Amino acid sequence: MKDIKLNVNGKDYTLNVDENIKLLGLLRDELGLTGAKEGCGEGECGACTVIMDGETVNSCLVMAFQADGSNILTIEGLEQNGELHPIQQAFIDVGAVQCGYCTPGMIMSVKALLDKNTNPTREEIREGISGNLCRCTGYNKIVDAAELSIKYLEEGRR
Amino acid sequence: MKKRGKGIGISFYGTGYGNGFPDVSKAKLRLHDNGKIGIYVGATEVGQGAKTALLQIGAEILNLSTENLLFISEDTSLMPDSGTAAASRQTYNTGNAIKIACENFKDKLIEISKEELGLNSTHGLMVEKGEIYLEFFLQKRISFKELVNKYGDGTIEAEGEFIAQTVEMDPETGQGAPYWPYTFNACGVELEVDTLTGRVEILNVRFAQDVGRAVNPRLVEGQMDGGFAMALGYALFEDLNLVKGQIKSNKFSRYLIPTAMDMIDVEKILIEDPEPTAPYGAKGIGEPVMIPVAPAILNAIYDATGVRILELPVTPERLRKAMDTKKNEGNFNMELNALKR
Repeated sequence: MKDIKLNVNGKDYTLNVDENIKLLGLLRDELGLTGAKEGCGEGECGACTVIMDGETVNSCLVMAFQADGSNILTIEGLEQNGELHPIQQAFIDVGAVQCGYCTPGMIMSVKALLDKNTNPTREEIREGISGNLCRCTGYNKIVDAAELSIKYLEEGRR
Repeated sequence: MKKRGKGIGISFYGTGYGNGFPDVSKAKLRLHDNGKIGIYVGATEVGQGAKTALLQIGAEILNLSTENLLFISEDTSLMPDSGTAAASRQTYNTGNAIKIACENFKDKLIEISKEELGLNSTHGLMVEKGEIYLEFFLQKRISFKELVNKYGDGTIEAEGEFIAQTVEMDPETGQGAPYWPYTFNACGVELEVDTLTGRVEILNVRFAQDVGRAVNPRLVEGQMDGGFAMALGYALFEDLNLVKGQIKSNKFSRYLIPTAMDMIDVEKILIEDPEPTAPYGAKGIGEPVMIPVAPAILNAIYDATGVRILELPVTPERLRKAMDTKKNEGNFNMELNALKR
């Protein structure tokens, strides 16, 4: 067992974790944050995507102890005071969600992209979410949602 | 060298289980406290939008906004069965069951209101926005809330059932009417083949789908994009790699499906030609949207290279091999012709 400190969605945690559990397991089983999903468990599908110190990671490939000292943002951390994040709202508004299994990871990838590039092209959006597999939507409405969230975020900043 | 080609694929597809197999959907409606109507139906939501589209159909018939409805599904201890979310059948089959159940429910409300309002007949009674009223004497009216207060929560109820009409094919003659209704579609693809690597790049797509009526156009578009992406993977990438009955490509690292970068914006055309036997004319399109895509891609590859591919997926390796074979055959024929002369 190992003692770690980390911040998840703005909240500090001091935890004693098993050396062999992954960040995804820590988030889901220890902290009850079940938004991030396990899809393939080998870093191919992106369903477990969270943002770790500003970068997207496949939380199935990060050991829990490796997250010691880091800041983690999960899908649960996007909503503020009961209001959905503009990206979440955009996904709903354009119909970018079908079965929903990839959605939390997709939204985190879009968030990380837009944090770095506030006005990406459609091609850049496609590249930004290329680590997240979706079987239902054919991605096009997800790209539309990312474009709409650019607009929502701009309106929010104004 | 890069070679461009265009191809189309067209298909028609039968809705439902078909071939005389019993295809049954049922729905139940109940009036609840606060005047809300519960639609109880066994339809399963798997992301295709059953809950949304079926709720819309119910709301339309009941003249209510969707906020005044409760949609309760996916629990057979609470509701009658509506069959599987398969065979592109829920919109048509279960949509019809909901339509019938809603009409029966309206009749029931009108029958009860006739008694409550002390009227001679049900003639002229309308159901709209949570009330039943006499069309030509508006003071005669009673609300859903008043009815539920008097009769109790969930006691006013009605059911509906829809059984699709199909005829088993005669195995001797091959005659029958195995499906009804059918949906139709056409897909056009423009692509580029790199003759050096055998890689195929999709450049333009136009995709038209007959839906009877688009209950929710956004959901239809989502299905079309999704169907195109699945079929793109089927045509170009996806291979289980079966070796002696064992699936070798048993992980996403080996079994490739399209990513956002492999997909392309699809120009989607919704054809609305209402089907008379369908709820508001709407037909299911879950499966059909996948069918014409691979033929369109293969035809475009033929147009670009002159090579007919008969085995999927068209991996770069397979396409290169086919192009080489064709080239060698061409050389052989040229030599043969030279010898003949």
